[in-house]
Amino acid sequence: MTRHAGRAIVAGAILALIGAACTSASGSAGPPPSAPPGGAVIVAQDLAFDRTELDVPAGLAFQLLFDNRDGAPHNVTILDGGGKATFVGETFGGPGSRIYAVPAIAAGTYRFRCDVHTDMSGTLVARS
Amino acid sequence: MHAVKPVPRTETGSMAIALRGGVVILTLLTAAVHASLGGVLFTLNAAVYLALAVAMVLPAIAPVRWLVRLALLGFAVATIGGWLLFGARFPLAYLDKAVELALLVFLAIEIWLFDGGPAGDLRRARRLAATLVAALPGRGVR
Repeated sequence: MTRHAGRAIVAGAILALIGAACTSASGSAGPPPSAPPGGAVIVAQDLAFDRTELDVPAGLAFQLLFDNRDGAPHNVTILDGGGKATFVGETFGGPGSRIYAVPAIAAGTYRFRCDVHTDMSGTLVARS
Repeated sequence: MHAVKPVPRTETGSMAIALRGGVVILTLLTAAVHASLGGVLFTLNAAVYLALAVAMVLPAIAPVRWLVRLALLGFAVATIGGWLLFGARFPLAYLDKAVELALLVFLAIEIWLFDGGPAGDLRRARRLAATLVAALPGRGVR
């Protein structure tokens, strides 16, 4: 292995790595978008959700608008009290948004989180 | 039937450059993917991969390159294992695991060609352990 070849590979790739790291930087700020009628909205920015509590209707399917303002991929997963996934939203890199069609869930308290960054989490309350 | 015993080769020539280039590029690729995910854990993972990629080509580290190879192999296995246990399933994650599996293949070939296979690494590890034990206070040459 020649020294020049090794150095060139590492130097080029370090630059690529720095570029990749920069893609995880957050996109534009701004107020959260409006929730779909009868649904809810949540924003991911700077590796955090914009809220730690989410109210949704119980026993009715609803739409959850998820706005990912980070370059990093995020999603929203809803877990029941036992930690079992009730709903798993699509994981995607931002900036971008998706409207998740969440099936009806029973009244009660759930947890929501990002599956990629599990420290991004909060409480979801389904009220009848 | 005779067992094929790997004979360590020198780490020079076009084969060595291709292999090492592959290892470094794959390591930096997975580092870049982890860096792009953000968060402390992924950033630390990327930093370790980056450090190991640099160690794979630093001339000063050539005498213990076998150890770097093993560290990189172990770290990639641990990262894949962590993802299997706790990781999120999405396209970029699957792509990254493919990169890490390819990295494991390249490392296995390097270990086979340059270190004399697992048996060669085991001998080196024993020698290193003996050297370290001898260097302990009270165990050295008086």
